[in-house]
Amino acid sequence: MVSFAFIDFLWLIMFLALMIGCGLLFYHLGKRSESDFFLAGRGLPWWLPATSVYATHTATDTPMWVAGVVYRYGLTGLWYTFFAAWCAVSAFVSTRIFRRSLAYTQAEWQSLRFSGLGSELLRGWVAGWQIFMNMFILGWVGIAMGKVCNLAFGWPLWIGLIGFSSICAIYVLASGYWGVIMADFQQGVIAFAAILIVSIWGVVAVGGPSEIISKLSVLGKSSMLNPFAFTGFFSGDFPVMWFITMMITAIIGGIGMGTSFDWYTEAQRIQSARTVRDASYSIWSGTALVLVRNAIWAGPILAFFVLYPNIAEQGQYELAWFRIAFEFLPAGMLGFFFASIVAIHLSTVSTQLNLGAVYATRDLYHHYINPKATEKQLVWVGRVSTFIILIGSFIYGMMMTEEITKYLLFALWIMAAGVWLPNILQVVWWRFNSWAYLSSWIANLIASWLIFKILPDWGIIPVLKDHYQFWILMGLCALVYIPITFLTKPEDMNHLVKYYVMSRPLGWWGPVRKEAERRGLIKKSIS
Amino acid sequence: MGLIKRKWTPDEAEEWTKEDLFACILSSVVYITLLVGTALSFLLIWTGFVILAIGIILMFLMFFIINPKLKTISEEYEKKQKSYLENLEKIERWE
Repeated sequence: MVSFAFIDFLWLIMFLALMIGCGLLFYHLGKRSESDFFLAGRGLPWWLPATSVYATHTATDTPMWVAGVVYRYGLTGLWYTFFAAWCAVSAFVSTRIFRRSLAYTQAEWQSLRFSGLGSELLRGWVAGWQIFMNMFILGWVGIAMGKVCNLAFGWPLWIGLIGFSSICAIYVLASGYWGVIMADFQQGVIAFAAILIVSIWGVVAVGGPSEIISKLSVLGKSSMLNPFAFTGFFSGDFPVMWFITMMITAIIGGIGMGTSFDWYTEAQRIQSARTVRDASYSIWSGTALVLVRNAIWAGPILAFFVLYPNIAEQGQYELAWFRIAFEFLPAGMLGFFFASIVAIHLSTVSTQLNLGAVYATRDLYHHYINPKATEKQLVWVGRVSTFIILIGSFIYGMMMTEEITKYLLFALWIMAAGVWLPNILQVVWWRFNSWAYLSSWIANLIASWLIFKILPDWGIIPVLKDHYQFWILMGLCALVYIPITFLTKPEDMNHLVKYYVMSRPLGWWGPVRKEAERRGLIKKSIS
Repeated sequence: MGLIKRKWTPDEAEEWTKEDLFACILSSVVYITLLVGTALSFLLIWTGFVILAIGIILMFLMFFIINPKLKTISEEYEKKQKSYLENLEKIERWE
């Protein structure tokens, strides 16, 4: 339990006023149109979406996640957080393709890439799935905030869950994405400064880097300082095979769209950038900041490890960074630290609220329910959707009682494994059609539950390691969608040509390109 | 023509070329060096500073390679964006 001095309360109140005020300032811009409420009018310079990428992916549960893997594996554990590196390739491949499509959302992109009934089914499915996922993620980060408030002040979990998300909803409801992006900018700056200050403070408080290194040596844990201390090629807790799987899924996955759940968040930032180049640089630099932040966090978490090396319970050592701060920061700084926690929480909540609302408004209401809606109606539907998602997140949040890492692994990893390759194929292969993509989703939902939960529970197969689960799911689902690709017709050529000329995707698009050249829509390739 | 092309016509920039590949490879390496370099530097381990320095140099190299091409693509695309957006709204409204 921590106790706040007057100055601590002052920090918190000042920060909250700044965050809400910053968001509310853009009320008049946000209400102008659907494009303003969800994409800030597509006119942002690269550094604004970049700070939003960074701020959004710095959530209350993120330091818990990083602490969990670094406490267990040392610096090698940082590779668990490397999934963000899909942006290394995406910034120069899928980001470029997606920005050129101008789709508001990934669901809308499905109807530009595919045609006919299949594309409409996919659009509805992806939109519905994303609304569900946004509520889930909001509940998940919300309950993480509840845990932090419980640790710090002894509050019941629901206060941290509901209180801060509701505060955040004020400016998201009023200003939409304009409020999100402007608040994200100052939240990102505050969060990075706080992470740096608290981390340095924590490392110095336990005696500095040299003390950490010597204590790790005394504990016989010097290998925790080696980022490549794997436990074998296939064996142990952290084998090379897992590292290879992570590298492939992260880096090659950048060619596709949706290979990481973060894609859906980034897609909104990509479309809000004013040019294709701004979109690329925003995604690249925002993610670079995310990786630097993860690396900075490793220092105080190792400091925590040398202080408390024998914590067995995951839920306890996941709080390492928070405990370092609460135990070592002086009065006056605690308020600053807590305000920064609120900042990182609000930046994630605001993004997910507006992101869920764009799928509900653009893909469900506007496209299917009221295609002739006015801009005013669309903005109001955006606000109502935001509110519904907020309430849904409270319900999900109260349902989550297990370890955060378990949910993270399941949501980010297992559920995506079977559609990882289809997410790439839809970008790079003209022949891959909507029925194949839809079938991959259905196959994945069934197979992932079988491999992850049902078959191990029934004792039919052992509990498999993550990398085995990934490759098995990928193989099983391919047995479904590859035959379906060839058993069903290709997409309509007129539709494909239009998409190709607009987006200029890379990969195997030969027949479509030839048709576009024949129609005189693009020049013949020199090579 | 040198290894890296820095002057692009709009039609040339639309194609996927080796500059895109170089950017993707360098970008991935930079991310790895930023992660490892920062973590080690934060603990004042000298190899961390070396790795971080290499990462920063490679980052500038990456921008040197890809920026002219991205700039050309962007400028050309912005000319067409308005008509593309109008078409997008027609699809949205089932027109």
